[in-house]
Amino acid sequence: MISEEAVKEALKGVIDPEVGLNVVDLGLVYSVETAEDSINVEMTMTTRACPMGEHIRDQAEAALKARFPEVKAVEARLVWNPPWSPDMMSEEGRKKLYGD
Amino acid sequence: MTRKGSMGFFYKIRFPLMASGMICLLAGLWAGLLRMGFDLPPVRPFLYEGHGPFMAACFLGVVIGLERAVAYGRGWAYLSPALTGLGGLALIVDTIGLAGPLLVTLGAAVLVAVNIAIIREQPALFTAVMGAGSAALLVGDAMWLFGAPVYDLVMWWAGFLILTIVGERLELSRYLRPPAWAEWVFMGAAGLFIAGVAVMSIYPDAGAPVAGAGMIALAVWLARFDVARRTIRQAGLTRFVAVCLMSGYAWLAVGGAMTMTAGSWEPGLYYDGALHAVFLGFVFSMIFGHAPIIFPAVLKVDVPYTPLFYVHFALLQVSLIARVGADLAGSFVGQAHGGILNEVSILLFLAVTVGSVIRGRLSKKAAA
Repeated sequence: MISEEAVKEALKGVIDPEVGLNVVDLGLVYSVETAEDSINVEMTMTTRACPMGEHIRDQAEAALKARFPEVKAVEARLVWNPPWSPDMMSEEGRKKLYGD
Repeated sequence: MTRKGSMGFFYKIRFPLMASGMICLLAGLWAGLLRMGFDLPPVRPFLYEGHGPFMAACFLGVVIGLERAVAYGRGWAYLSPALTGLGGLALIVDTIGLAGPLLVTLGAAVLVAVNIAIIREQPALFTAVMGAGSAALLVGDAMWLFGAPVYDLVMWWAGFLILTIVGERLELSRYLRPPAWAEWVFMGAAGLFIAGVAVMSIYPDAGAPVAGAGMIALAVWLARFDVARRTIRQAGLTRFVAVCLMSGYAWLAVGGAMTMTAGSWEPGLYYDGALHAVFLGFVFSMIFGHAPIIFPAVLKVDVPYTPLFYVHFALLQVSLIARVGADLAGSFVGQAHGGILNEVSILLFLAVTVGSVIRGRLSKKAAA
């Protein structure tokens, strides 16, 4: 079975061009569930007012389908609870952004 | 929105909506040339009077309304860009009739409703500031509908764009975790600006220095706390966006300083410089930077980055320095030459963007 880490690794290919960081390091991926023939991801945007959500979600699904072509059902869903906060960023993401 | 819906009606409708915004942009550019005194066919009687309305209320009303509708994802939110776009087209057909201003004002009212819905879902200072931006658009549009001259209401339209953009930037500044006092400073700066704009509706000469001071304060805040300070060290599109943002903040400060020191707030060269520092320097720098991000998000078409983006960006900066310099020097000829090059930079931006979309499609086909 595909591990959560492998899914997150694939999602690191999805970049938010505004800040140049991937969605995992930005803390936008909330949950990953994998089964024999399905991957379900819950993700968010930093705000409900951001028009990028649909596009980033489509990119996440495309990245997963490309990395795991054998999986029949791949779905990324946008959720808004809990709202994103800067604390959700990974240590790596902070280092990349702050440069220290 | 359901998954089915994301490629259905509310996806397909984005293309004609965006097209209506682009038609308003082209009408606004043509009206701009007429205003600057170029001897060109008027196309429609009194079209030149529509320069400000076409650019600020119609074109940007459609684009920002569409952006917000895509973000919010509910069908009714698309009424905002639809009504605004229809209003812009009505204004081209009948430049002095009420149908255009009425539809555009209704479109702004729907945008306010969308923002209220977003604020209810995510109560925060940044959503409130974006909401205040849409309210400023509604006030400006309503004043226009009731016959106020554009110079009396144009700061409300500037407020629409300034507050919408600074609200979005405030939201993104959270990545850098600014100190708590920074939010208070932001509120002070935004409050000063809004108060100045409100006073300008009744006492333009008294309100202009306050609004100008607020613009400078907001520009300084953004230059200090925007995430672009960090992302400018990156490469490619991310760096290009940051460069556009930072130059936009410099122009917002210039526009603020000129608004502050205008003395008498009335149409003329100084007024031209103050307004175009904001609308072209601040707003269009932002549009140039974000188009390669927003077009894929709204229309699902890739706009691959190319260093050519810096060509239209540089032309806008240089031609705007020339125009504002000519405004300060009192040269109508210099203003017109700078102004026409401003328009060339916008047309070049459109051409480079379309070129990038085509290049993206070709490389996708080649890869497949």
